[in-house]
Amino acid sequence: MKGNGRYKVLLFFFVPVLILFAVGFVFGPLGAGFFGTKPPGIFQVPKPTVDLPAEPICHVGHFSLTNTLIASWLTIIVLVGLSLLLTRKMKPIPGKGQAMAELVVEGLLNFVESVAGKKHARMLFPEVATIFLYVITNAYLALLPFFGSIGLHEHNDKLAPLFRAANTDVNTPLSIAIMSFCLVEYWGMKSLGVVHYLSEFINVRQLGQGFKALLAGRIGSAVMDIFFGFINLFVGLLEIFSHIMRMLSFTFRLFGNMTAGEILILVSSFLIPLAFTIPFYGLELLIGLIQALIFSGLTLVFGTIAVSPHEETE
Amino acid sequence: MSPDVMKLLSVGLAAGLGFFGPALALGLIGYSAMQSLGRNPEARGAILTNMILIGALAEAIGIYVLIVCIILAMVVKF
Repeated sequence: MKGNGRYKVLLFFFVPVLILFAVGFVFGPLGAGFFGTKPPGIFQVPKPTVDLPAEPICHVGHFSLTNTLIASWLTIIVLVGLSLLLTRKMKPIPGKGQAMAELVVEGLLNFVESVAGKKHARMLFPEVATIFLYVITNAYLALLPFFGSIGLHEHNDKLAPLFRAANTDVNTPLSIAIMSFCLVEYWGMKSLGVVHYLSEFINVRQLGQGFKALLAGRIGSAVMDIFFGFINLFVGLLEIFSHIMRMLSFTFRLFGNMTAGEILILVSSFLIPLAFTIPFYGLELLIGLIQALIFSGLTLVFGTIAVSPHEETE
Repeated sequence: MSPDVMKLLSVGLAAGLGFFGPALALGLIGYSAMQSLGRNPEARGAILTNMILIGALAEAIGIYVLIVCIILAMVVKF
């Protein structure tokens, strides 16, 4: 039969998952509601409480060390350790580790070049790639088994996990967003010059032309220029506002996606303990990748807009 | 009306009305992507990349609504 091998895969994967699903359904809280069976000890998942601010683990003077900070340290250790390990002895014909690192770097460089063009790609590449790798490693490390479960018990009998997904604390997306904003302005000023770049925000060029024409006596073109000059000035101020709004939107996009994913996994593993969370873990993998792409890609796009000289539409 | 009822009503209304916009936006993005893909199947890479980019931007609005509902439901106490 043509699909013979396929049936074996179905048997070995699908049937155990179904069995686990049935067991989890019957012995979990839903089963307790439907059939009245009490969950045995191993299925007692604590009721999910949504704790938006990160829990502090210990206090160093006035500074409280939160579990998301420890998780982001773990991310840094993993990233720096991997990159040091894989680039240890570089050979012209790469071994497996170096080939994997080259794959990552070259993929990111192609992505940056496809948006920014070859001229500015090298300038934008380090920070955009760092944002991508940091966000995606934060998101993927949070799916490991010991995140969110091993921790200390606080006084009011609430578990404070030792590690928690770093992206679920508002501070991490906020810090990356502030860095992204500062970087975009820095790139713009470095490419176009400080005065030229800032003059796009406070755009008094046409207004100045209008007043000069007024003094020279050409009333008709002066009125037009003054009118459009005021509009340009207003649009420039709106640009400042939109740049600042980007910080907020970056923050809440990443924070919201990651927190929603965490709550989803908590609730789904509480409702039907064993097999129900498998598709949600898959969803978390996809969402982590997409959010990293979006964050770094939007930083890249805004940086490209900032470094490209504006054409005058006179 | 007691504050608890108001709170539940507000959370439900915020979520229900709020998710309408992003869902519509994503549907429109998918519609235009499919149309342009049908007209020009060779531009598949560029169309799909841009579709995912704009899709995530529209999705973010839904996430803002979710954050508002979480704050209303869990953080506001009477």
